[in-house]
Amino acid sequence: MKLLPWDLSVIPQKFFLFADAAGYTLQITFFGIILGLVVGLLVALGRIGRNPVLSGLCRGYIFLIRGTPLLVQLFIVYYGLTTVVTIDPIPSAVIALGVHNGAYIAEIFRGAIQSIHYGQMEAARSLGMSGSKAMVRIILPQAFKRAVPSLGNQLIIALKDSSLASTIAVPELMLKGRQMGSSTFMYMEMFLIVGIWYLIMTSLLSFVMHRIERKLKVSDRG
Amino acid sequence: MDNQTVTQNDPKEFDPRTEPILRIEHLSKWYGDLQVLKHIDLEVMQGEVVVIIGASGSGKSTLLRCINFLEKAKAGKIHIEGKRIRNQEKQLNKVRQELGMVFQQFNLFPHMTVAGNVMEGLVHVKGMPKARARERAEELLAKVGLEEKADVYPAMLSGGQKQRVAIARALAMEPKIMLFDEPTSALDPELVGEVLNVMTSLAKDGMTMVVVTHEMWFAKEVADRVVFMDDGVILEEGPPEKMFEAPEQERTKEFLRQILRS
Repeated sequence: MKLLPWDLSVIPQKFFLFADAAGYTLQITFFGIILGLVVGLLVALGRIGRNPVLSGLCRGYIFLIRGTPLLVQLFIVYYGLTTVVTIDPIPSAVIALGVHNGAYIAEIFRGAIQSIHYGQMEAARSLGMSGSKAMVRIILPQAFKRAVPSLGNQLIIALKDSSLASTIAVPELMLKGRQMGSSTFMYMEMFLIVGIWYLIMTSLLSFVMHRIERKLKVSDRG
Repeated sequence: MDNQTVTQNDPKEFDPRTEPILRIEHLSKWYGDLQVLKHIDLEVMQGEVVVIIGASGSGKSTLLRCINFLEKAKAGKIHIEGKRIRNQEKQLNKVRQELGMVFQQFNLFPHMTVAGNVMEGLVHVKGMPKARARERAEELLAKVGLEEKADVYPAMLSGGQKQRVAIARALAMEPKIMLFDEPTSALDPELVGEVLNVMTSLAKDGMTMVVVTHEMWFAKEVADRVVFMDDGVILEEGPPEKMFEAPEQERTKEFLRQILRS
């Protein structure tokens, strides 16, 4: 009688049992990306800045983080640091996501800042503005706007990458899927539920990012 | 209109009748091995309109940009109201308020409205309250004929309108000298006139102006003095009548022949 070897009717039945787990996914993604934005902005400014030591450090950070897997970074924070300090799973996930995304966001910001025509800085300086004030008042607002599409992209990547936190026992979606799978042996059904939850969240995020992009377009023609 | 206040800021009692407001001495600048400015000397008196002409690559824009230190000269001195300007951040931020700059590419701030552009320096450099700055911005926009554009974004303006806003933005700081770096070169021909008109009325109001331009009409009609630059030196200078009718140097004659033919 069965068309498929799986019982798909389980999907709607069990769907909302994953809500708490989805909450954890959102939580570590949200705080991770906030940390990433802060780190990214500072690293971008440091890298562009005139101090060669600071610039070199920022370059080194980006090199190390982009060149190694998030899973390695997560394990270093959670397991590797235990000899020095023990960090709980959720903060570990947030730190690892923040540090990881910080490197990518730094490059997004750097590109956006450097894409602003040098005439903008010159015009600001010619009014007697200090360099840092010109950065804050004139360059960064324009750069943020240009960075929004890439930041949105990064946010969606971060949300999906947060699934790695299941490996350090954060009770998020992926871990919930594995637990539910092993207790019911309905792995396909459970991971389909997990997939649907991710899909809903990424769709919502990209919708929101689109709205923000549209809102920021007021000062452009058309 | 606030002429009394001007003298107060200067302890060394600069006398505009006898001393130039701007004095450039032996200014030299290199790009790598290429010397683009060679021992430039130039004096500008208060209220004077000096137009710098010359072929592209002659160093005229670089000279202008060195005056407010957007480019740093390697050797030489710049004095404003008798005071030597040094390449030192704090002093430069002050001095640049006294030197209005208008760019070829306008360089308006696209994320701010027209009024926002004009208010920016007043509020965030001079610390003027917003309401007062807004009033001042409206006055200045009326002066350049754009009061009705106060609340639109620069993207909605024509090139000529953008440049007039840029002039209003520079004027907002109440500069002692206005520097114009090819202000009409990026404009469609039919929009050049409105910008030159604003500049002409500024000159009539007694503004001290240093203008790099290819608009020979402006040089002839408005300039008090025309400076011809060639290959990093000031080759010849004088009142416009002399420069256009009886230039001494062969290079000047050749340049004028070429530019007036087109």
